[in-house]
Amino acid sequence: MNNLLVLPMALPVLAGIILIFFRNQIKLQRGISLGVSFANIGIAIYLLNRIQEEGILRLDFGGWEPPFGILFVADSFSVILVLITSIVAAICLLYAFSSIGKSHEKMLFYSFVNFLIAGVNGSFLTGDLFNLYVNFEVMLLASYVLIALGGKKIQLRESIKYVVINVLSSWFFLIAIAYLYGSVGTLNMAHISERIAESGQTPLLTGISMVFLTVFALKSGLLLYFWLPGSYSVPPTAVAALFGALLTKVGIYAIIRVFTLFFYHDPDFTHTIIGILAGVSLIGGSIGAVAYKDIRQIVSYNVVIGVGFILIGLSVGTQAALEGSIYYLMHDMIVKALLFLLAGTMIKVAGSASMDEMSGLIRNYPLFGWLFFIVMISLAGMPPLSGFIGKVLIGQGTVETGSYVLLALAFLSSIVVLYSLLRIFLNCFWGETMISFEDEVPMKMGWLIPCVLLSAATIGLGLGTEVFAPYVSDAANTLLNPQIYIDAILYDK
Amino acid sequence: MVSVNLLIMIPFLAAALIPFLHKRISRLHIGWYVLLIPIILFIFLALYIPSIASGATYLFMVNWLPTYGINFSTYLDGLSLIFGLIITGVGALVILYSIYYLNENESLEHFYAYLMLFMGAMLGVIFSDNIMVLYVFWELTSISSFLLIAFWFQRKRSREGAQKALLITVSGGFSMLAGFIMIGSITGSFSFREIIEIIPDFYDHHLFIPAMLLVLLGAFTKSAQFPFHIWLPSAMEAPTPVSAYLHSATMVNAGLYLVARFTPIFGGEVAWFWLVTGIGLVTMFWGSFTAVRQTDLKALLAYSTISQLGMIMSMFGMSSAALNNGYSTDSVVYTQAAFAGLFHLINHATFKSALFMVVGIIDHGVGTRDIRRLGGLATYMPITFTIAMIGSFSMAGLPPFNGFLSKEMFFTSVLNIRELNIYSLETWGTMLPVIAWVASVFTFIYCMIIVFKTFLGKYQEERLERPAHEAPVGMLIAPIILGILVIVIFFFPNVLGNYLIVPAMASIFPTFAAETDLGVTISAWHGFQPELWMTIGVVVFGVLLFISLKYWKGIYALLPESWSFDSLYNAILEKTEINSNKITNYYMTGYLRDYLVYIYIFFIILAGGTLIYTGALDFNIVDDAPIDPIDWVIAITMSVGAIAVIFAKSRLTAILLNGVIGYGVALFFVLLRAPDLALTQSVVETVTTVLFLVAYKFLPEWKKEDSPRRTKSVNLLISILVGTIFVTVALAVQNGKLFESISSYFENSYELAGAKNIVNAILSDFRGFDTMLEVIVLLIAGIGIFTLIKLKARKGEEELENK
Repeated sequence: MNNLLVLPMALPVLAGIILIFFRNQIKLQRGISLGVSFANIGIAIYLLNRIQEEGILRLDFGGWEPPFGILFVADSFSVILVLITSIVAAICLLYAFSSIGKSHEKMLFYSFVNFLIAGVNGSFLTGDLFNLYVNFEVMLLASYVLIALGGKKIQLRESIKYVVINVLSSWFFLIAIAYLYGSVGTLNMAHISERIAESGQTPLLTGISMVFLTVFALKSGLLLYFWLPGSYSVPPTAVAALFGALLTKVGIYAIIRVFTLFFYHDPDFTHTIIGILAGVSLIGGSIGAVAYKDIRQIVSYNVVIGVGFILIGLSVGTQAALEGSIYYLMHDMIVKALLFLLAGTMIKVAGSASMDEMSGLIRNYPLFGWLFFIVMISLAGMPPLSGFIGKVLIGQGTVETGSYVLLALAFLSSIVVLYSLLRIFLNCFWGETMISFEDEVPMKMGWLIPCVLLSAATIGLGLGTEVFAPYVSDAANTLLNPQIYIDAILYDK
Repeated sequence: MVSVNLLIMIPFLAAALIPFLHKRISRLHIGWYVLLIPIILFIFLALYIPSIASGATYLFMVNWLPTYGINFSTYLDGLSLIFGLIITGVGALVILYSIYYLNENESLEHFYAYLMLFMGAMLGVIFSDNIMVLYVFWELTSISSFLLIAFWFQRKRSREGAQKALLITVSGGFSMLAGFIMIGSITGSFSFREIIEIIPDFYDHHLFIPAMLLVLLGAFTKSAQFPFHIWLPSAMEAPTPVSAYLHSATMVNAGLYLVARFTPIFGGEVAWFWLVTGIGLVTMFWGSFTAVRQTDLKALLAYSTISQLGMIMSMFGMSSAALNNGYSTDSVVYTQAAFAGLFHLINHATFKSALFMVVGIIDHGVGTRDIRRLGGLATYMPITFTIAMIGSFSMAGLPPFNGFLSKEMFFTSVLNIRELNIYSLETWGTMLPVIAWVASVFTFIYCMIIVFKTFLGKYQEERLERPAHEAPVGMLIAPIILGILVIVIFFFPNVLGNYLIVPAMASIFPTFAAETDLGVTISAWHGFQPELWMTIGVVVFGVLLFISLKYWKGIYALLPESWSFDSLYNAILEKTEINSNKITNYYMTGYLRDYLVYIYIFFIILAGGTLIYTGALDFNIVDDAPIDPIDWVIAITMSVGAIAVIFAKSRLTAILLNGVIGYGVALFFVLLRAPDLALTQSVVETVTTVLFLVAYKFLPEWKKEDSPRRTKSVNLLISILVGTIFVTVALAVQNGKLFESISSYFENSYELAGAKNIVNAILSDFRGFDTMLEVIVLLIAGIGIFTLIKLKARKGEEELENK
């Protein structure tokens, strides 16, 4: 039943294509899209459990055995991310149903979302470096359209920047792959890993690893995050939430994969650089998060902080730290989606994105206000919500390896995160009520329910960490022992 | 047996239910139902007193995150029992009081839900054996305190106070978490009991001191120690029952609890002794000194709480000296400081809560707490006055109130500590009693202010919002009970000592408790000892200074307002916003041009730097294939074309020049015998050029770029560097091939895939999946353009036209 592996990507692709032909049947569009996400959740859970029993699963396309063909590989790390992606996607879709508007829905919105998800899942699952590039392209193309869809002037302006920067980074990516292929003569990720281990990580390979790092830093917003606040501020809320939750994570995934599977032989150099970049991102993100009164800006800079936080775990690279990174990735996907949904909804009900023009919202929308409170303490890594365990484990990793500067930056950034959102909470939710009950924009259940679900997820992940512990521990273990991955791909016939 | 874990969960459960039940049971004030919870918990805990007093301890385990050693294990021993009784006992009284203090118009369901949340969290803090779980509850106390301070969140000052409290206590919490992680890393355990046993092996560990400092930071911020005390006065924006409960009797004691709990772990360390004692005494002095200048009764009480917390802190600090050389008959005497500390902790909870309730009654009754507007209330509020007097005199250290006993013991401790010959106490030891005494004088003064300026003197009805009258009976019950306790404890202190404090001492000094009895017989009269003379001195000087207050009050004006830690805090927040805005705007220009420059610079530093640093550029190109003249011709043509694009005057020229580069590449493919690629490349090149030309007439004027010379040269430099790096790496790769490519496998394509054309076989079979996805990319692009054209924003359209 390894054929299941292709479904998290194939289902959304097929759905995306089929929906093109039913442009005006909105109910069908919604139903199929949501159905695909639910199916993916089920598949991911099933795969995750099978991996625990049978080890890493793989699917060779066309029956071409590695290293010659393309294949999908499901290890715990990938499938955990697929699972969370599917959950977040389902919830964001739910939000889109009542917010995106008929005109978008009839303009193939759901097709693009499905393609986006296909690209994201494909990136997580692929075991071939060039195929990773292609999956990136699928994801990016869909994201280009989703940013610009709607055609507002500001959307077009930001999408130009977004497209140009990403085309540039794709070009970097292609060249990096060419360099690596030139050196080691293969594209299969396990094979690359084995060959690098055999020849040793030569200085040139380390140099090439930095080209990869440039590419993925751009995608993930690691230090190269300047494109992010602009382009995440312009699309409709549901799309912004998908972006905030998923897109940078693909870049982070790629960094983690590449630097644990290929270029892990000289961590004193490469992982230190990642640590420095992560630290600087934390600083830059923190400064940005308190610099503005525009909620969208604050929220976007919080994405940057999350990226730095997760990659500290990779930089440190112990079992605990990597587990922490994985937990934090899961947490961040859920909570960033929630944060973007809440911020977008606030702007909708208040009619402004500026903190100064909102006040006392909690009186009008009590439940909504408390959801924001939850997201605030969750993002600050406070217990017992989902950010806590990741923070503790990453902290442990930094202590074990003596990376006290990173420890300090990580924990200080949590304070900034708290402060940046606390300002929103105090200004916008508390304070004198500005909107009279007659004038208030009615809060749709379709906006609230997705937020409630995500809040429940962050609480559930926090209290129920133990449920995920075996999977996360297996994921980190595989990352730390590339031989497990190599054996499963190359020597398990 | 009901486990302590369940006990902690009950208030949480209540907190979750209150908002739902509130609407159902509106006949009776909801506080009456809530009141049952602390009473039951108090009784439940009180039943443990006999067994705990006989030396028993109880451990309960519930697994939470066993994988990471984070389990919800609780430990009931002497130390946690004292705190537990205070939390539930004072909690019950405060809730009783609040029923009369808050009327039905307030959002009571929120109030009691927060209060229960706090009570559960606080019980969690003191009963947790696992430090990580302790941390979980620790942060929950900060959060519930935040919610309670901002109970009247429409007031700006409430919000500011809540924010300050949250930021300071949570920051301390984060630092404490870092400390806990370090402890976990040193000992491999998160359990207090295990850590205490293992830690002697790790006194020399390099993380021992950092962990200690970080944990102390957490304790100091929570217990409002100097200079983190600034949040406590601002927290007085909370409703008075909250101030009486959280900000005098319970939450602020969490830091003290932590210090007491960690004494067996860090206690033998000289830094611990000086930090805890020193910060404690400084806080005690600063708090009492500042309290005197306050005009708001609640602010005065806040500073007095700070001062008293500092005093208890210093006692715990001094007691740690006993652990320096392990158990000996000489060192036992120093543990008495901790005994005194615990005793005063209990006493403080009684008299300070009573005083807060008194202030609440005054505020509630006459509508102001400003000392300048109050006076002469004694005749109108005799019972309140009596309680205020009992509380204040106890705090001032006068008999026959419990504060007298613990104050005397405090003086005994500071006098004893001088005798110690470690920690360079022979030089500095004398300072301790001096500071303690001076601080006590100020304490005496502000206690007198509470009594005399509020209740005696001239009654000024015209300056009050409402005429003074005695509070309703319900409001008085709680403070009366506390007032009675203050006196009862004075007369029967040893019951408290034997049943509660001695077992707690065993928790703080486990190694000592096995050897000897740590009990102290408390007596009100022990002859004319130095400590009694100190008390007499406090009274004499206190009275003199109180009478002459208006003559020396000027010294408070010496220190300008802007020099306070409070203004520092405000300045930091304000500056943060302004500066971070400046910094971020500086590099977030919004110009694509700048962003591309960032990317290239990043690349140059990272990739170029690495190549140079690792010596990757050490390669030889001698063996490369020779370059034919025709190659030179094509290469130079392309280069010229590329350079010329930059100087092109019209868009048309640029497009055509761009075409030159593309066809050049195609020619290279021909030369390198890759006809498929050459064909593809020329088709792509033709189509793009044609498309460009088609779109050409819709594009706006080609404006000449007018960037300054410096920008131009920087750009030139960047271009050259990026190009150089790419070419060098390519050459290096070519020369440093590590393995043969797997591509030879595909040469067998006819046998493998039945295809005579290897390229086609790769595209459609071996790597058919890539091709399929590329087709999808094209599809997305296609329908994407379709939707972009179709779906134009109506408003946006106008904007575009106006441009």
